[in-house]
Amino acid sequence: MKQILSTKYLPFISIFSLIALIPLVISKDQYAMVLVTTVLLYAVLASAWNIIGGMAGQLDLGAGAYIGLGAFTTGTLLTRWNITPWIGMFIGGFVSVSFAILIGLPLFRFKIKELWYALTSSALVEVLRIVFLMWDEVGGPTEKYLPGGGDNALYSLRFSTYIPYFYIILIFLVIVIYLNHRIRNSKLGFSLLALGEDEDAAEVLGVDARGNKLKALMIYSFIVGTVGGLYACLYGFLHPSFFSTEISTEVVILGIVGGMGITYGPFLAAIFLVSFREYLRAALGGELAGLYLAVYAVVLIVVALFQPRGIAPLFRRLFEKVIRSLGGREHESSAKASS
Amino acid sequence: MNHPPKLQVNNLTVNFGNLMAVNNVSLEVYPGEIAGLIGPNGAGKTTTFNAITGLIIPSSGKVFFNGHDITGMLPHKICRLGMSRTFQVIKAFAHMTVEETVRVGAYNRCNEKNVYKKVDQIIKLCDLADLRDKLCSDLGLAILRRVELARALATEPEMLLLDETGAGLNQTELLSFMDLLRKINMEYSITLLVVEHVMQMVMGVCSRIVVLDSGEVIATGNPESISTNPKVIEAYLGKRVPQCY
Ligand SMILES: Nc1ncnc2c1ncn2[C@@H]1O[C@H](COP(=O)(O)OP(=O)(O)OP(=O)(O)O)[C@@H](O)[C@H]1O
Ligand SMILES: [Mg+2]
Repeated sequence: MKQILSTKYLPFISIFSLIALIPLVISKDQYAMVLVTTVLLYAVLASAWNIIGGMAGQLDLGAGAYIGLGAFTTGTLLTRWNITPWIGMFIGGFVSVSFAILIGLPLFRFKIKELWYALTSSALVEVLRIVFLMWDEVGGPTEKYLPGGGDNALYSLRFSTYIPYFYIILIFLVIVIYLNHRIRNSKLGFSLLALGEDEDAAEVLGVDARGNKLKALMIYSFIVGTVGGLYACLYGFLHPSFFSTEISTEVVILGIVGGMGITYGPFLAAIFLVSFREYLRAALGGELAGLYLAVYAVVLIVVALFQPRGIAPLFRRLFEKVIRSLGGREHESSAKASS
Repeated sequence: MNHPPKLQVNNLTVNFGNLMAVNNVSLEVYPGEIAGLIGPNGAGKTTTFNAITGLIIPSSGKVFFNGHDITGMLPHKICRLGMSRTFQVIKAFAHMTVEETVRVGAYNRCNEKNVYKKVDQIIKLCDLADLRDKLCSDLGLAILRRVELARALATEPEMLLLDETGAGLNQTELLSFMDLLRKINMEYSITLLVVEHVMQMVMGVCSRIVVLDSGEVIATGNPESISTNPKVIEAYLGKRVPQCY
């Protein structure tokens, strides 16, 4: 039994162990550390989106709202009441969940999908941004810096290097991908996938559309809200621009390009697209501001044309080929070892 | 017919704007029978099914299942009570495999432990073993009709509503499908209400037939009496000749 367990999760464990070694190699290079941390951060967000978007097929553009809520909850708790972000970010997660329920209940009640759902969730981001811009006690137009750092770094989750953040986000990613994997193979996952494919058909097969979608939205918003708390600590300040429709869009793009409903898809997409985008920004940014976005858009169109189901299936085929070519030898060596 | 009806529809009416798609329809289906619902195109058969299974809310009228009032109930709750259906226009889970599709239905009554057993049983029953790992988007119409039946059967229904399951099948496919219907009716005692244009199938499997025309019931009876009923003949000849193979 233990044997099966360990071989089943072997690729999972080995990939993440390898990733955990990255800072040992590049810790001197500040830019590279920012880049890999950003990749992981987006991978967490897009993997969370996979549950509501990839599986349940709801085109959610609300990630920015939950990031902002998580960030402001965590930051305000720390600044005003000196509550550690280690607790604050989970409270931020719950605040996000409450907002998610508030918009999820009516939207799912009236079967709002696709464009209308996307617009509504996107509007939530804008509305909250403006509310926080005007709400001076908590937000306001100027940055509110978070206390801490120095001796207090661990308590206030304010480190002077990216390395601790890298590992915290990596742990988040492992949890979120494992969660994806578990959901994908459970009743909830099958219900969500069926709803994403055809809601009427799913319902007459006993799938509770509203209940399951709400569950998916709650899980997603909790994760994103929690990450929002981390986001505030990473940047060290609070600002209403955290309620960002750009982040929301980026998350959806990663979720779709990775491959809807595929556990590893968003992570793969984050690795390629986020680092590609950052590379373009660095390489082209000086010449013509915004050109990198145009190149990025072209890449997205190419993916949409040639891999409409996302890049994950492509990698699966590649992976299977590699395994097969290695597999033969592996079997031989294991046979030798056992004899 | 001493038993109380399994399904009872009383004065069901469905309006789309000022189009009356279903007009004051009443019908009963008794436990264990295979009943047919026929009628020319646009008669309101699919709309009747939608109103019974909760996909649309009727403008007026009542639907009772096993004596419970299920009018306007959410479809998944109706399914839990023991009624499921298939669709005339296939609603396949395109990016899921046959096995995964059946599993969705199986969760209606199973937990994580016994869901596999149920899936295996249904796949065997519907003769889908060779195709279980195929994606639904790679399958043809005849197979998809069987997959739709399989996933509905996996919910362990007491009653199934089948909307034109015979449409587009060739002679051999049709015969094997009819056998399957008789089998689930006899061996699993599932009550069936089938909408069908293929007369061979209606006459072959149904013990009682209800005929709809322009949203109204124009005749009810056994296959022989229906096929000689002048009102039925007129309804069909006026619009469309029944499809006889
Ligand atoms: N959602 C809808 N909105 C408006 N009108 C509709 C809708 N669904 C069906 N109708 C209309 O209601 C009438 C009955 O349609 P229905 O699909 O129930 O007929 P049917 O008996 O199933 O026909 P067919 O044999 O072609 O499947 C038709 O005139 C149809 O155009
Ligand atoms: Mg129809």
